[in-house]
Order: sequence, then C-alpha cells, then structure tokens
Amino acid sequence: METASTLDRATLDALRESVAGVLAEQCGSTELHAFIDGKNTLDKMLWAQAGQLGWLGLGIPEQFGGLGMGAQGLAILHGELGRQSSPGPYIATLSAAQTIVETGGQAICQTWLPRLASGDISAAVPATLDVRGLTRSGTRVSGTLRCLGAADAAFVLAPTDDAWVIVDMAEAEVTAAPMWDRTRDVIDVSLKDATPLGILPDAAATRAALTRAMALAVAADSAGGARSITERTIAYMKTREQFGQPIAGFQALKHRAADLATKLAVADEMVRHAVQRTMTDEPDAELWALLAKSEVTEACVFVTTDCVQLHGGVGFTWDFDPHIFLKRARLNEVLIMANTALRDQAAAALAAITTSGRSALELEI
Amino acid sequence: MSILNAQHDLSAFRQEIRKWLAEVVPPDWKGRMARASNEEYIAFQRWWMGERSKVGLAIPHWPKEYGGGGLSQRHLITIADEIARADAPQNRLFTISLIHMPGTLLPHGTEVQKRRYLAGVAKGEVWCQGFSEPNSGSDLASLRTRAVRDGDHYVVNGQKIWSSNSMYADHCLLLTRTDPNVQKHRGITYFIMDMRSPGVEVRPIRQANGRAEFGELFLSDVRIPAENMIGAENNGWRVAQATLASERGVISFEGGERQRYEIEAFYRKSLKVGAAWLRDAQLHREFVSFLAEMQAARRLLRRVLEESETPQASASVLPSIVKLSSTVLRQRICSFMVRIGGVDGQAFALLAEEPFGSPMFDFLSAFSGTIAGGTNEIQRNIVAERGLGMPRV
Repeated sequence: METASTLDRATLDALRESVAGVLAEQCGSTELHAFIDGKNTLDKMLWAQAGQLGWLGLGIPEQFGGLGMGAQGLAILHGELGRQSSPGPYIATLSAAQTIVETGGQAICQTWLPRLASGDISAAVPATLDVRGLTRSGTRVSGTLRCLGAADAAFVLAPTDDAWVIVDMAEAEVTAAPMWDRTRDVIDVSLKDATPLGILPDAAATRAALTRAMALAVAADSAGGARSITERTIAYMKTREQFGQPIAGFQALKHRAADLATKLAVADEMVRHAVQRTMTDEPDAELWALLAKSEVTEACVFVTTDCVQLHGGVGFTWDFDPHIFLKRARLNEVLIMANTALRDQAAAALAAITTSGRSALELEI
Repeated sequence: MSILNAQHDLSAFRQEIRKWLAEVVPPDWKGRMARASNEEYIAFQRWWMGERSKVGLAIPHWPKEYGGGGLSQRHLITIADEIARADAPQNRLFTISLIHMPGTLLPHGTEVQKRRYLAGVAKGEVWCQGFSEPNSGSDLASLRTRAVRDGDHYVVNGQKIWSSNSMYADHCLLLTRTDPNVQKHRGITYFIMDMRSPGVEVRPIRQANGRAEFGELFLSDVRIPAENMIGAENNGWRVAQATLASERGVISFEGGERQRYEIEAFYRKSLKVGAAWLRDAQLHREFVSFLAEMQAARRLLRRVLEESETPQASASVLPSIVKLSSTVLRQRICSFMVRIGGVDGQAFALLAEEPFGSPMFDFLSAFSGTIAGGTNEIQRNIVAERGLGMPRV
C-alpha cells in the first residue's frame, strides 16, 4: 500500500537535513560512548524526541497519524540513524508499522498505527524470519522467539504456523539478550498460552512485507553507518602522522580509501534503487530489497573492518568509534535471514519475473 | 528521411529509432564481424556511419551551427539506449571523431578549425589521439614528443602509443612538448596533425585479445602548420583536460546499457536451455549480486550525465568512481563467464555472435576498461586526492 509515486528531491533533502542536524547534536561520539558504557539513557531520550518530531510516523499514512512519506522517508531516517549508530528500537518498530500498513487491515491499523506514529509505544519483531514460529492451540499462542526490539515494547509481531499475530508483551516473559552491538536491543520473548490482540491472516504477504521493510531499513542503516565511519576514518588519517607526514598521504592507504568511497557510492545506489522500486510498487521491488540488504550489509562489514585496520592500534580500542560501527554492521549482516538465503530468494524472484516475459532490470532514464 | 524530424515528441522519436534500427541492422553482423579481416571490419564501420548519417544520427549531439542535430541530452540518451537495446554496432572507428575531437574543438578551437574539421566527420573522417608515449603513460604530463617552431610551422619529432585506430585515421589530436625548461604541465602544446603528413609512420599493436585496435606513431620531422594549434602555445595541458572530460558523457552510458541487454539475453537463454550453472546455488547468488551492482552502476552513470550539465561537473570525482566500479564489475562478470564456460569457453574466437559467447575474448577485452582512459590506479589517486582531500606528497 505504498504511494505510487516518488517524493521530490527538495522534500527529501529537507528531511535529511533536519534529522541529521538533531542526531549530530544529540547523538555524537561522546554521547554514544557514554551510552554504551551505561552512563546515560540516550536511547530513551532520542526515542522521545523522534516521536515529537514525527520521525516515527514517516512511513505511516496520514489517516493513521503519520506523514505518508513511505519507503523514501524511512530510508532517510534509517540512513541517518546508521550514520550516528543511534541506539533505539527503530528497525523493529518502524518495520512492524510498515507491515501493519500493508497487511494489517483497517481495525489493526486504527488500533496500533497512531500509537506507533507518536512514539507512545514501540514494537518487537523476530530478529530472523526463517525461524520456527509460535504454536497455536485454539485461540492461544505459545513459544519463544529471539526478537529485535526493546524490553519495554508494547507488542511483538510474530509468526504462527498459518498467520501472524500481535501479542501484548505484558503476556510475555522477556529476557534481554545483550549483543556485542550495544546500540541494539535483542530480547527473548517467551509466550505461554497468550491470547493475541490481533491476527494478520495472510501469513505469506505479512512475512513478505516484514522482510521487505526490514531489508530496506537494514540496508539504509548499513549504508549510512559505512559512510559515516569512512568519513571519520579519513579525517583521522589526515591528522595521524607517521614517518613525518599524515598517513593520509601514503598511496597504499589512499587507494584503499578510494575503494571504500567507491563501495559507498554503489551501496547508496543499491538502497535508492530498492527504495524507488518499492515506492512505485514494481513487481521487482522485493527482488531489489533482498539484494540491497545482502549486498549493502556485506559492503558495510567490509568497510567497517577496513576502518578498524586503517586506524591502526587505536582502531582496536573501546574508546574510538570504529568498533561501534563494526559491531552494528555485523549484526545488520545477519538480521532477517542469512544473506545467502536472501540471494537464493532473489534468484527465485528473478527467474519468476523473467519467465513471465518481463524484465527486472528496467530503469528510468 | 531524418529521424530528427520526430524529435519534438520523445516517445515518437524513440519509436522512429527503433523502427530504423530494426530495418538497418543486419541480423548476422556480429557473426560476420567475428570472422572479418581488419579491412572488412573498417569497411563495415564506414558503412554503419553512412547509414547513421542518412537518418541524421551521425552527429546528433553537435550544435546545429556545425551541422549537428543540436539534440538535448535526453534525446542522446534515448538514442544510446535504443542502439544498445538493438545490439547495433558501436561506432568504434569514430569514437575520437565523434566524442574527443568536438569535446576539444568546441571549447578551445578557432572558428576556422571548427568549421573545417567538424564538417569532415559527417563525411567519414577518422580521428585518432596522440597522447600517451612509451615513457609517458599514467604520467602523461611528462611527455617528450618535441615540437619546435620553424617559421609558420612546427616541426615534430617523437613517438606516440595506444592510439586507437590510428592506422585508419585522417587526423590526430596531438600533444607535444614545446618548452622543456618549465614545469612539465606548462610546456605542452596541442595540435591537429594530418596523418598523411610526411614523417608519420603507424605500426599496429596486437593486443592480448588478438585484435589490433591500437597503433604506435613514429613522428620524424613532421611539419604541422601553426594554424593547427588548439589553444595557445604551452597551454595544451588545459586543452587536454577537455579531451579527457569528453569521455564522461553518453558514450559510457551506452556501454552500461549494452551490458544490461547482454546480461539479460544471456540469462534468458540460460533459463531457456536449463544451463548447468543455474543449478549451482553459489553461482546463482554471485549472478544476482552482479545484477545489483550493475543496476547501481547504471544509476551512477545517469547521475554523471545529470551532473555533466551543472557547473560543478569539472570538479566532481563521480566519473572516476563510476569508472572504478563499472570497469571492475565488467571484469568480474567476464571472469564469471569464463569460469562457467569450461574448456569450450576458452576456444579461440574473436567478437562473439551471442552475448558472452566468447567469454575469454570478453574477459581479455575487459582490461581495456580498467587500463585505458587513465588506469584505475590513477582514478584512485583522483578520488582520494580531489574527492576525499587526502594530501599529495
């Protein structure tokens, strides 16, 4: 149910600037390190702000209290959150919201979307989607799922054998599962004979919608993070002197930096391409979202790994930024599904489109 | 009839081109060219230029006052896209004539030069480029071919290399050293050289892919009239930047689109015949990754075109980034084709009839992308220094 058109560049640039401005001020390196060391509640503070500024409703249609900017607006938000490695349950909550928009139906949309758009509540979703779902017995569901989302999320959007359900977290036993990436919350959600608050009966469409929303979110987050740590690394290389000169002057390192810049340019276009195909609701939108996630998260792992190395000794310390981005990149890489599995799905989608006599490679001139 | 008559309606313009291509492009041209001698290939290229000329598509990108079509970039992109879609021949023999020569003369040539030389191209005049020398490749500004003033002429001595199609060229865009006693960029002068001048000798260079597109130029006491100078004496380096920048345009876009149609045709055929590689999950994954990179590369090429019409274009490193990503991708795709092609894929064959039908030829040819037009190593320097602001030491 995406808007069948794309937004103009000025609107998008204005959005990017405003999000970037707020995050640069509130979620700089110092605040982020303090958060990681448990010295502030940056995640809560940012979340409250995000709700007030309308960020959490960017992808939600206006009739449900959002701004109706679809995948394009969301990609900008996730890209900027990635740039600052911002903590908070954005991928889980915003992807759950997009899924509800697509397959939730009127009643569920009306119940949940306005509260999600305002930041009043957050949501949890399975960290990987190819896991065994909850078991359903009559109207009740049971089982344990490892989820992406905050411990105080209002609900979890979870698969059962034949549908997806929205379950109140008050009915769940929630255990935090601390990750190496401290900017993300992962939780184990255990349910025992819980009664769902809502049912999304089209399991396949719901799974596809959540896969696509998460794929676009993770890809945008990775592209933003990769660009940011590359910029920080190059800035460092210009100040770090060895052999009587800034190490940024050494050709061996310049060439690596140029290769990183090239990877970033390609990654950005992969995200934009997938987002645009989603905005105009093309039959190949799923294919490009799956590929954007698999390609861009791997590029981001490469880039963040190289940024640790390009920093030298300090790149391996807790006090510098590279490890934060590297850890976030590694978690992004494995979310939704293994990239090999995503590529297998993409290959199947490509074959289906091609066999039907269409092209998956159309591009506007 | 000129297709340009339909230019006011872009989709009608596209249909006209498509119709014309369907009529004019010989279906078996690739097969014929795969077996053709150099002479047959050249004759074919001239024929193709003649056909384009008949419908107004020889020089559609030039200003009207110099005989061109004065078309917008959108039109040029449409032409390139249709030519790629139809798998019509490239204008390889005329690349320098159509792209580099006007890219240089339009901003820097005299009115007399523009009138005389631009008009010649529509009649089939072939140009080549005399830039690189055996000892001046990546370090182009160190070139040593000497030009010494002698009355109203310059006398040129030296050697040029990697000059595409110079064996068939009528004119050459030539860089020479006129002042050896100043900083290397400041003593260079740019000339138009008549390739039939006494003292010009051309020897073809056979490439690793079996073809001989390049030539080596030996220049002994070649006399060039002073009026053939482009720009001022010792200002040739600046003029040369215009030549190099002209490669960034629609020509690379066409290459990207060609690859799209090629890879799509290859994939369709693979599905149809149930090719063995489709049953290998890892190869299949690699293939879809290529497609993702290819779409990104095509989008980047569009951005370069968009940017080329803005004032910031000359300072942008995006063309270098595009070259780095798309030439390496081409190499990897061709390498993939060699791997899945088995022993048959390495059977000796030039220019394949089918897309990727001679994988080894395509793989070897892909080096022209990573080496020609400024090696990828030079592009990395450009990206790092001009784009990322890393210091030059």
